[in-house]
Amino acid sequence: MSLQKVEFVDTHGSVVRRCPGTKRHICCGYQTIDLVEGCVLSCSYCILKAYLKDTVIRISRNSDAIITELDEIIDGCSDHILRFGTGELSDSLAIDRRYGLNRFLVEYFGRKKKAILELKSKWADFRHLEPFLNPFTVISFSVSPQRFIDAEETRTSPLRKRLKAARRAQDRGCFVGLHFDPVVIYDGFEKDYRYLIADIGRILDPTRIIWISLGTLRFPPALYGLLLERRRKYLLTGEFIRGEDGKYRYIKTERIRIYRMLHRLLKSIDSNLFVYLCMERADVWKEALGVEMKDNESLMGLFDERIKNVYGGML
Amino acid sequence: MTDIRLSHIDPKDRRFAVSYPLQDATLRWSIATVGIIQPVILLDRTPYVPIAGWRRLDCARELGMKTVPALVVDMNEKDALLHAIHDNLARGCNIIEKAIILDKMDSFGFPREDIFDLMEHMDLNRHEKVLSGFLMIARLDMPARDFIFTKNLSFRNIDSLLRFEEKERKKILSSLKGFHLTESTLREILEMLHLLKIRKGTITGRDMPALLNADALRTHLKERTHPILSRLHRKLKAIREAMALPPGMDIRVDPFFEKEYIDIIVKIGDEEDMVAALGRISELAAKGYVRSILELTKGRIR
Repeated sequence: MSLQKVEFVDTHGSVVRRCPGTKRHICCGYQTIDLVEGCVLSCSYCILKAYLKDTVIRISRNSDAIITELDEIIDGCSDHILRFGTGELSDSLAIDRRYGLNRFLVEYFGRKKKAILELKSKWADFRHLEPFLNPFTVISFSVSPQRFIDAEETRTSPLRKRLKAARRAQDRGCFVGLHFDPVVIYDGFEKDYRYLIADIGRILDPTRIIWISLGTLRFPPALYGLLLERRRKYLLTGEFIRGEDGKYRYIKTERIRIYRMLHRLLKSIDSNLFVYLCMERADVWKEALGVEMKDNESLMGLFDERIKNVYGGML
Repeated sequence: MTDIRLSHIDPKDRRFAVSYPLQDATLRWSIATVGIIQPVILLDRTPYVPIAGWRRLDCARELGMKTVPALVVDMNEKDALLHAIHDNLARGCNIIEKAIILDKMDSFGFPREDIFDLMEHMDLNRHEKVLSGFLMIARLDMPARDFIFTKNLSFRNIDSLLRFEEKERKKILSSLKGFHLTESTLREILEMLHLLKIRKGTITGRDMPALLNADALRTHLKERTHPILSRLHRKLKAIREAMALPPGMDIRVDPFFEKEYIDIIVKIGDEEDMVAALGRISELAAKGYVRSILELTKGRIR
């Protein structure tokens, strides 16, 4: 599916990191496992274009060191149930069938039974992992209206396939996550999101959706120039401002409007759905979701509660 | 060296012309005072073809000179172009001249490596994208070249200008021609015009009406690209006016209305000033002004 060069590299230093978060924005305390750096899906808005120096896909071959690192972090943390993901600097599933990258992690988390691994993807194929899946692996998909996928995520799986794959994961005993990220303003986006959420309600079992994140489009200044140069109409329709962290994001009043709309639509599927905002300010949480979210700790506390509720005594 | 009659030189054959602009008042005065010190270089054809010394020839013609001192050489076209380039290189070339030089090398069929080598000597990155940008500059019409030269545009802003179609570019240039423009103001204006073009498909007269200065144009464009933000600023301005803050007191609001808090600044010289300021702040709060501003910063008002 791609002609991008793939290299196996020895990584030095830490591969497991806490999500760096953003100044004055509430972070969920996610832990990233940077097993792969670079992505074959090449979505037009991908911030990796601004961060990574080339298009080479670099795969860490230090699986033993990663396990040691994970052991130390998980065993050393008693106040939260940690969540880890491989989808920060790459897509978790896009090249997984070919290179078998996640299997050792899926098996590790299954044995460990103390933390959660989230495989976050826009690539709707995890059948090769099915024999190894266990409840401690969450299969997650980023979701966007098909019209947007056609325009800006051209190498990814279509929405329907992603939702069907999510359903398949639920049927195999996994919890699934959904990520409305990036949510993008374009002409008619409200209607498209209504249909998308209706599809989710029809295809998925809401009781087995562990979490849903909402995050509107945001990117570093370096990417803004690229988007202008490449005339990405879908991505440039909304009204951007520079946030306190220097990133471009939609003006606050628009973000609030979008979050309110999505939150309302999602809750209409099932009022027990766990919906959170990715990298948002406390006042946006309050205005959009009516939740007083004081700091990162508060959000991590909500995640702990959610996980305890859905896993019962397993975790 | 020999004296050649100007009427025997073909000024229309611009194969090797790289100087821009041709007019040079200082050189004209110098030639009028002491004559042409350094001979021009001419290709030995009938009529003679100027290789180097285009500005000197232009001054001589303007001053009504009949002959000019010249070196007449016989060489192939490529060598003649290299002579023209190297004759001008040492004095330092402006951005239009660099573009003309690269364009001529490209059309004369010089290998890419030779072109890239020269680019390095002209302080340019040896990169295909940079070269193609310069080739586009060389092919611009005179008003566009003049604008770039007189406003001393950076390559970044030129590159931005080149992304518009010719018709749009003409509209933009005629609108900006009379303005005093800083690099950053121009960058901002071009960026907003780009955004409008991407959103609407084209730039129209409504986007660039006749305005007094660059700041007015920037504000006008901001209204079009950022209608919500502009509306919030208008509302804030109205609240500020109604508040009629006394001297020594100010309310600072994040320009993007992203920070939910505001800063109230008071300058005090003694305790009395402080008591008076606090009283004034309480008054403003009682009248609901502070709440109105916070409604804007908390994203409650569109």
